[in-house]
Amino acid sequence: MSEFFREYLIVFFFILLAVAAVGGLIGLSSAIRPNRPSKGKIKNYESGVDPTEGGWSQSQIRYYIFALLFVMFDVEAVFIFPWATVLEELGWFGLVEMVIFIFILALGLGYAWRKGVLKWA
Amino acid sequence: MISFDLLANTELAFERPAIDWHAAAPELVLLAWGALVTLVDLVWLEKARRFIPTLTGFGFLAALIPVVTLWADSDALPRQMFDGAYVTDELALVFKGLFLLSAYVVVLLGANYLNDGNYYDSEFYQLISASVLGMLIMASARDLVPIFIAIELVSIPAYLMAAWRKRDLKSNEAGLKYMLMGVFASAIMLYGMSLLYGMAGSTQISAIGEALTGLSDRPLVILGVLFTLIGFGFKVSAVPFHTWAPDTYEGAPTPLTAFLAVASKTAGFVALLTVILIGFESKSELVEPFMWVLAAATMTIGNLIALRQTNIVRMLAYSGVAQAGYMLAPLAVYSANPELSRSAVVNYLLIYAAMNLGAFAVVIIAARKTKSGEISSFGGMFQYAPGLTVAMTIFLFSLAGLPPVGGWLAKWRVFESLLFFGEGSTAPSLAGVLLAVLVALNSVVAAYYYLSVAKQMWFMPAVNDDNSTIKIPSALTIALAIAVVITVVSGVTNLMPELSTADFGLGQ
Repeated sequence: MSEFFREYLIVFFFILLAVAAVGGLIGLSSAIRPNRPSKGKIKNYESGVDPTEGGWSQSQIRYYIFALLFVMFDVEAVFIFPWATVLEELGWFGLVEMVIFIFILALGLGYAWRKGVLKWA
Repeated sequence: MISFDLLANTELAFERPAIDWHAAAPELVLLAWGALVTLVDLVWLEKARRFIPTLTGFGFLAALIPVVTLWADSDALPRQMFDGAYVTDELALVFKGLFLLSAYVVVLLGANYLNDGNYYDSEFYQLISASVLGMLIMASARDLVPIFIAIELVSIPAYLMAAWRKRDLKSNEAGLKYMLMGVFASAIMLYGMSLLYGMAGSTQISAIGEALTGLSDRPLVILGVLFTLIGFGFKVSAVPFHTWAPDTYEGAPTPLTAFLAVASKTAGFVALLTVILIGFESKSELVEPFMWVLAAATMTIGNLIALRQTNIVRMLAYSGVAQAGYMLAPLAVYSANPELSRSAVVNYLLIYAAMNLGAFAVVIIAARKTKSGEISSFGGMFQYAPGLTVAMTIFLFSLAGLPPVGGWLAKWRVFESLLFFGEGSTAPSLAGVLLAVLVALNSVVAAYYYLSVAKQMWFMPAVNDDNSTIKIPSALTIALAIAVVITVVSGVTNLMPELSTADFGLGQ
């Protein structure tokens, strides 16, 4: 086996470690905790309130649009953090690049704003 | 020894990549123009609606300018960026030109189509710009990561556009099927790519090519190569990965169907060519049989199903599947003469783009009068629209591969690569001869259904004897003229074969 494939052994060890850690903890807790099943314990958890309706209910489509807008800012942050660490070396070039990048993302927000997506009608 | 100290040798110092602005100009122009179109739409909303298609069309033409200047400065080609992950060579420029020109024609086709029925349409043009940007990136990408980003940038706007007519159930079906199959294909492709990366330790195609040369056919190699190819098989709608194509083509707005059938398919082929000819060059004994089966199944099944279609768009969809089979054929024998196989595929793509866009243009124009997609509604067209009938006949002859219009030259080059009478010719391989026989048989089958549409137009009476003329908007006339000229010129000159032998810079 080549050196390269050998390095995948690390991944294998990590998998073993993950299984051992999770399995060990769950196994340990189930071994030492008291076991008293009751009906109330298998109910769906809804922030402490008694559940109403079934689990198969419709949710507001508007949340989905807001989630999409959130993704936009998320992506922005993902790219800005690494950029900030090398900004000094990039200089003006980096600044202009980032302004363009933010402009394109802001265009998405502007689009949503202008087309009335942000209104909770 | 196992090294747990993964970061020990990693160079953390950051080096700013050099950017060749001229090489990146087509993409940048299109990006800026897409932003401009969005801004215009945002500022003026309804008032700008009429101008958006024209503005977008000019954007595609504007992005063609740097393509031409790059072509003129051919001494500097191939231009490389990001350590050879992004290469602008002659072939990439040919493809970029093809993408931009066909996108322009699609915009012309859409101009009078989309605003029927009161759907959003400015967004359609913004999305099509994004999709074409993905194609431009695809033409230059020589690394798995940009290839994947490009293929998603091509596809995701296309999923949305396929479902554009949202009050039409068929359009919803088209978008949903296309998206589900596309996502499925991407997942398979990504899995294959991850295996390739795992073996080569690099995402760069040329590095993968070198790594694969040394490796034997262990199962991991076979899975990585085949899964990647299967992913692209979906994108070019090769049998058995074609099932989304007819329903999507029928339900989507027809201009988008033309876009998918031509530009999107070409983008898939560009990726296929890059990956096979650079990455899997040494694995021909694995890739060739696979491509052979894919090509044979694609052309045969596509043609047999196309025979039975009564709807013209579905017929063109299945014929597009069959045509993809002809284009895959040279890749089944590529190891004999990679240059010849490559140029046969490129040549076919160039000619196919013109003739297929033309056929869709006629379908869109005819539907303005007949409001129907049935082949029988084409009856008597020679009586009331002789010019349109002649144009459609040219496209159909070309699709069937009859001289002197473009299509025959496309097929000729495919035969040439299969039977290999190129320079330094050796005896043709048995696989090549068998596939050539299949291509010939399939061309005969295909001629039947193409020519029966022509028969309908020339000899059959009009539906309800309605011989009123069709008003053709000027945008559609221009689109039709471009398609006719290119189809005819490519049949009688050596233009397309010349373009298709353009240099293919391999990257580092």
